[in-house]
Amino acid sequence: AGKAHRLSTEEREQLLPNLRAVGWNEVEGRDAIYKEFHFKDFNRAFGFMTRVALQAEKLDHHPEWFNVYNKVHITLSTHECGGLSERDINLASFIEQVAASLS
Amino acid sequence: MVSKLSHLQVELLGALLESGLTKETLIKALSEAEPYAPPSESQRAIHALQAEKGDGDGAALPNGLAEARLSEEETDDDGEEFTPPIMKELENLSPEEAAHQKAVVERLLQEDPWRVAKMVKSYLQQHNIPQREVVDTTGLNQSHLSQHLNKGTPMKTQKRAALYTWYVRKQREVAQQFTHAGQGILTEEPMGDDLPTKKGRRNRFKWGPASQQILFQAYERQKNPSKEEREALVEECNRAECIQRGVSPSQAQGLGSNLVTEVRVYNWFANRRKEEAFRHKLAMDTFSGPQPAPPLPPHNSSSLQPPPALSPSKVHGVRYNQQPATEAESSSSNPHGNSSLVTTQTILHQVSPPGLEPSQNLLSTDTKLVSAPGGTLPPVSTLTALHGLEQSPHALGQQPQNLIMASLPGVMAIGAGDTSSLAPAFTNTGTSTLVIGLASTQPQSVPVINSMGSSLTTLQPVQFSQQLHPSYQQPLMQQVQSHINQSPFMATMTQIQNPHALYGPKSEVAQYTHTGLLPQTMVITDTANLSALTSLTPTKQAFASDSESQTESGMHTPVSQAPTIHLQSQDTAIQHLQPGTRLTSSPAASSSSLVLYQSSDSPSSHGQLLPSAHSAIETFISTQMASSSQ
Repeated sequence: AGKAHRLSTEEREQLLPNLRAVGWNEVEGRDAIYKEFHFKDFNRAFGFMTRVALQAEKLDHHPEWFNVYNKVHITLSTHECGGLSERDINLASFIEQVAASLS
Repeated sequence: MVSKLSHLQVELLGALLESGLTKETLIKALSEAEPYAPPSESQRAIHALQAEKGDGDGAALPNGLAEARLSEEETDDDGEEFTPPIMKELENLSPEEAAHQKAVVERLLQEDPWRVAKMVKSYLQQHNIPQREVVDTTGLNQSHLSQHLNKGTPMKTQKRAALYTWYVRKQREVAQQFTHAGQGILTEEPMGDDLPTKKGRRNRFKWGPASQQILFQAYERQKNPSKEEREALVEECNRAECIQRGVSPSQAQGLGSNLVTEVRVYNWFANRRKEEAFRHKLAMDTFSGPQPAPPLPPHNSSSLQPPPALSPSKVHGVRYNQQPATEAESSSSNPHGNSSLVTTQTILHQVSPPGLEPSQNLLSTDTKLVSAPGGTLPPVSTLTALHGLEQSPHALGQQPQNLIMASLPGVMAIGAGDTSSLAPAFTNTGTSTLVIGLASTQPQSVPVINSMGSSLTTLQPVQFSQQLHPSYQQPLMQQVQSHINQSPFMATMTQIQNPHALYGPKSEVAQYTHTGLLPQTMVITDTANLSALTSLTPTKQAFASDSESQTESGMHTPVSQAPTIHLQSQDTAIQHLQPGTRLTSSPAASSSSLVLYQSSDSPSSHGQLLPSAHSAIETFISTQMASSSQ
């Protein structure tokens, strides 16, 4: 598990643009990032989720997510600090990696 | 071995292996995981995770599993396990969800109403929800709602709030419907299927576009699928509907009232078959033409009255034959273009007697043909249009018009598939065939004709043929009349007008032409008819053969030249007629050609007429004839 402290403004400016560029948005009303993934079918969606799940377990940092058939909506936020932390960034990067490999 | 795995299993295995799981560990885990044997794949994955983690994370995993279960409540197959999540959701509905929903509604109200309307509308389309459902629950006016969603008609905030509230709740309800498809629908849902409980009525089933596409494709393959095939289609359609809604196909029950069943598929096929039979019947009716009972306007002759087709036309036919004889004699002295007409008349006269018989035969055939189609009368409007046309030519002073009409019926008859009956007619009446070819032109040359033509032009080719049928009797009569009045040639010219075109398919018309209308003129008028006819390949072929036979069959010498020429022109005319687009061009041509005819009161020799008619025929297709003919 990485650092669980809330990201400072400078860190956000440094790290978030990369994620924003691939489609992560900041959630209104809370300090979190969000993205929707679409896959060809449920198999791929769930395969993706499984990989992410395995990694989440490894990192001990779990996403808030929703899945319906071929869609996966993921919200990342760190509960301990009540906002974005390094863990979210790490997991987001990993998620991007997996998604890219799966589609 | 891998082939026996489902796709998801492959995916999951891949995920596991990717996460660093070694084969040995996996195999070991499998043996450990055996006792679990979870029902759902997701649980399997979780258990696999468990196995992978081993006891070290045992404490963590159960929590994770519990969390996963809770979060999976929507998609898990476990029946009993769902009760708690359902209860939890029910609670959510009241405090949190209610607040959440209100917040969403507020947000929607802030947005641009039109954009939200589009969202709601597309949601309705996606889930095939009838507007009635929205109206029943929101209390909105259906017309107002429809206009708001489709055209953006403004809606007051209060009402929009009701709409958006319904929208939010419906989304939730549908989502639950789908996730709990296997376990039934929550009773708590207020919008569950939208007040079916209120009136005990479910929403009416509606076919979605995706399902319809599948069904139409299957229909093309086979119109009468067996029960097995139907069931396969049921699965396919439900899957497509679920995908359209972005839901897993396994949750098809969530489709609710729009669930596709075998009965519905069976009914769909039955209805399509009936539809096709009906369309086929209509098409047959079109070609065969309407019944010969349309009320004819009191034109020239009282005989033109809309009595049973046969008798009056026969009478007229006979009369016509007689009259031309007299006319020929009397008109021969005419210095004017009548001379040519006279000649024609003479020719016609000569031809007519023999022609009469066949024409009469035609008549009888026609009647039969007429009645064959099944007795469906064309729309009254078409008939009235024809009448209008009928009279105008007459009003013109027996302008040479209806010849074409006469010929057209013949052509039409061919087209209608009564070739067998028509062929003999055609062979007997050389002029008729010729006329037919010419008839392709729109009857627009003469002002009167124009009115007819315009009315005809507006008609679809199919309709046109219908009109031909009822009217053809009239033109025959009219033709006779006008024919008598004017030189036969001119008369024939007038025949060309629409009414004749309308007559096209009837052999009676052909008969009429036989009586002495110059084929040339006849031909010019009804492009529309011809185009309709041309759509029928057999028609053309029959025509060509008929014309050929005509030349040989028994045309009298004087007439022989005309027919020959006409035939040629006919052929060209016919050929030109093929494309339906000719219709548009023909009016101009016909008008010009018709004008030509009318003005040919001046000395126009028969020979002149013929070539002009010929050119007219060609020009109607392309250029303005008048100038050239004149």
